[in-house]
Amino acid sequence: MTATTVDHEVSPRSGGARHYLLGAGWIRALWMSALFAAFGFGLVVLLRWWGDWQPIFKWTPIVLVSILVCAPLGFLAGLGTFDYWARYAIGSPTRVDDHSGHGATSWKDYFKVNTDHKVIGVQYLVTTIVFFILGGMLALLVRAELAKPGTQYFDPQTYNGLFSVHASLMIFLFVIPAFAGLANFAVPLMLGAADMAFPRLNALSFWLLPIAGIMMLSSFVVPGGAFACGWTGYAPLCSTHQPLGAVFFNQGVQWAGASSIMTALNFLVTIITMRAPGMTFWRMPLLVWANFTTSLLVVIATPFIAGSQFFSMFDHVMHTAFFDPGNGGYALGYQHIFWFYSHPAVYIMMLPGFGIVSEVIAVFSRKPIFGYRLMALSLMAIVVLGFSVWAHHMFVSGMAPWLRVPMMITTLLIAVPTGIKIFSWLATMWEGKLRFNTPMLFALGFLSMFVIGGLSGVMLGAVPIDIHVSDTYFIVAHIHYVLFGGSVFTIFAGMYYWFPKITGRMYNERLGKLHFWLTFVGFNLTFFPMHLVGMEGMPRRVADYAPKFASLNMFISLASFGLGMSTIVFLYNMITSWRNGPIAPSNPWRGMTLEWLVSSPPPTFNFDEIPQVVGSPYEYGVPGAQHAILAPARATEVEEVTVP
Amino acid sequence: MRRGAIAPLIGIGVVAGGIAAAVALALPWLPTPASKEAARIHPLFWFVIVICIVVFAAVTAVMGYTIIRFRAAPDDDSDGPPIHGHTGLEIVWTLIPTLLVTAIGIVSAIVLARNDALGANVLRVNVTAQQFAWSFSYPEANGLTSGTLRLPKDRSVLLVFHAKDVIHSFWVPQFSQKQDTVPGIETRLHITPNRLGTFPVICTELCGLGHAVMRTQAIVMTPAAFDKWLHGQSSAVASPNSSVAGAAVFKNNACGACHTLKAAGTTGKVGPDLDKLAAEAQAAGQPLQDFVRQSIVDPNAYVAKGYAKNVMPATFGTALSKQELDALVQYLISSSKKG
Repeated sequence: MTATTVDHEVSPRSGGARHYLLGAGWIRALWMSALFAAFGFGLVVLLRWWGDWQPIFKWTPIVLVSILVCAPLGFLAGLGTFDYWARYAIGSPTRVDDHSGHGATSWKDYFKVNTDHKVIGVQYLVTTIVFFILGGMLALLVRAELAKPGTQYFDPQTYNGLFSVHASLMIFLFVIPAFAGLANFAVPLMLGAADMAFPRLNALSFWLLPIAGIMMLSSFVVPGGAFACGWTGYAPLCSTHQPLGAVFFNQGVQWAGASSIMTALNFLVTIITMRAPGMTFWRMPLLVWANFTTSLLVVIATPFIAGSQFFSMFDHVMHTAFFDPGNGGYALGYQHIFWFYSHPAVYIMMLPGFGIVSEVIAVFSRKPIFGYRLMALSLMAIVVLGFSVWAHHMFVSGMAPWLRVPMMITTLLIAVPTGIKIFSWLATMWEGKLRFNTPMLFALGFLSMFVIGGLSGVMLGAVPIDIHVSDTYFIVAHIHYVLFGGSVFTIFAGMYYWFPKITGRMYNERLGKLHFWLTFVGFNLTFFPMHLVGMEGMPRRVADYAPKFASLNMFISLASFGLGMSTIVFLYNMITSWRNGPIAPSNPWRGMTLEWLVSSPPPTFNFDEIPQVVGSPYEYGVPGAQHAILAPARATEVEEVTVP
Repeated sequence: MRRGAIAPLIGIGVVAGGIAAAVALALPWLPTPASKEAARIHPLFWFVIVICIVVFAAVTAVMGYTIIRFRAAPDDDSDGPPIHGHTGLEIVWTLIPTLLVTAIGIVSAIVLARNDALGANVLRVNVTAQQFAWSFSYPEANGLTSGTLRLPKDRSVLLVFHAKDVIHSFWVPQFSQKQDTVPGIETRLHITPNRLGTFPVICTELCGLGHAVMRTQAIVMTPAAFDKWLHGQSSAVASPNSSVAGAAVFKNNACGACHTLKAAGTTGKVGPDLDKLAAEAQAAGQPLQDFVRQSIVDPNAYVAKGYAKNVMPATFGTALSKQELDALVQYLISSSKKG
């Protein structure tokens, strides 16, 4: 930021108090949320009075319009996410190269609308870790209830709310956005770009997330109880038989989904148009490939879950009958639309992790990625096949029976590109010079856990086996092997791997390793026995179960508390290392990708000079090979990247 | 391939595969089958498990060997050999998994087709699912309705499902067969029981607050005992206002899944204790008979202290005939007085 920068958020003439109230920030966010909420309230009441709909004060539509739609818009407007666009729209003076909201000099800058992809990356990661902890605590409450058969601590509505909100937070507020946060930080750096293509859109995408998370959590305090129909929200249970809390889920998904779509568009445009000179598609790091393919999935699939949640909410609030068979609706329609997103969502939650693991394994094995092009192509194959497998979630649903065998074949085939990736990582490690730093441990943990999750996935792909284990604890075990053993392990790998680059400090390696071993052991003790109780006959989503499963469930619950404790080691390490860790060099892992060519943390605009990409990002062991050289900047390119 | 690597690779693979096989064999994974369909699924399960164990052992062998053998010395800053790929190897590890999953697909499709094929002399049972109860009716016995599923051994059974409110799912673990029941459409499931015994019927699709207790039993009987039961039952429901009829209605609608009633031997805790009906009627300030009737037909009119609204289905008023309702009310009043 330079002295010549005009701060457009504040009118130069405004006085102190006026600036305090009217300037973009938390004060304005507060009163604008209230104002917008009041507007929404008035709108509903006015329309109901005008149409003579009794009762005029009906809480479901009032809460929906005022609290779940208008207030968040007011919050975003007050915080200043729309300021630049609003000025542009009404013809006020704007400056294209206004960098007033870019970069962070103090911790306060992280609580503002910031357009720096690195700041936004940190905002994402910290926010998602908060929701990870909250979601984890909900899981521990679920395990406390399940430690013994019968119901002990929670009534059925609360218990069903616990596991429903646990899953929604972990999926929509942790795994998906944590990957978006890591990619937000790493992708522009890896491309040699100064920022994302649309920095203001990027800022808006982030600020939608806390709204979604708070909405889902606050459904616990809504009269009638939390939404309690599972994160899948099947109609007609969720659309017509649930208290108001269900609408908090419907709307929470909309905000998180909108965030996801905007970020994905941003990644696509950034990756397609902002690669440094010489960075051809076949020279992109696999993390960039992974986020490119993930973004394709998000942009194509996420509108479907938005549709399913809108229809479900309309059935609930406006008494439409999309999924209400009593009035001509089709209950299975919900599942088809929902899974058309939510199966690709499994890959949205996995492909970025594949990217992280590719980076980590290449660097810590000191070897080029084995079969780089096939690795990239298998990502594309997963994208294409990923859209043709959704009905494997519906083998027992009563859908058209002929759909089962074709969907089984595509489901089994998708194991092939996934297998290619696993074998290629193993071949990358073969004959390498392996170092077992924490990121590498988590990558290897991922590899072994994901093999188990993938193999149980093949079992589930076989229709007759799926019919037996559908909706049992076997499914719970499978998804945790894939999403925890898979996704969460790769998120930890990525957080440790880029921690020096993000914070400029090194984390404590001993605590990192302790965190890994506690997580790895705790994870397996918690989730492996679930395969067994599921196969033997314990259904999922029940607070009460047959006494014969008592001892195994007690074991699982005790193990899960240990697993929960391991997170304390992680938090302690992250917080103390960020404050007092040793200063990190610019390239602690001796990586070749572009983010390691700049300082830790990187300068505000990433590169003082435009990098010239000259080769593959993984040329370890090739004498004299380079991925990129930092060439002296040419005059024309200075304008393009707007270095101040 | 490095010389000298093959023996340790095989060694690690055998150990990993051995441990996995031991876990697979020692633990009781699948319940003992009680239907021909389950008996077909078991070999498929083992077929897939064997493939999984082989793949797991191979991956573990390579990973274990790599971790032990290729660990860098602390002072070794050199890089590994710059191997970028090997087309032959990549083709092999694309083709072998393709062949394996194709084999799994073919075997699964055959099992599925055989499990869906109805036998001769099919027994049809109409199954109605509602929050939080199952009821089974037998067209062969003029619509005789029962709260437990009774089936003859070794006869092809076609269950035809209807759901009144939300989606439920019918599962008997020992039959290894499962089917969702979906409001608005008819779904079907084929089972051929082949072992005598009593097995749990479990709802596996989250259907609301009483989901965990939406259970009943499937009883597989000898064909002779089944016929005797089928034709001996019709009399009970036919005699109105007798406590026998009321008890049958109570049982067939699975009231006991949620409610405690000593006379019926049920201990459900989702809803209020029905042995204390008189006290509740007093609390509600209504005559006992009116209170009981209203609580069945319109459960939200008065909700006992400590219990939530909208938990008990409001569908019983229309689901029960007038006779059944009268019988149930009388049965509840007389039973609760005894209790």
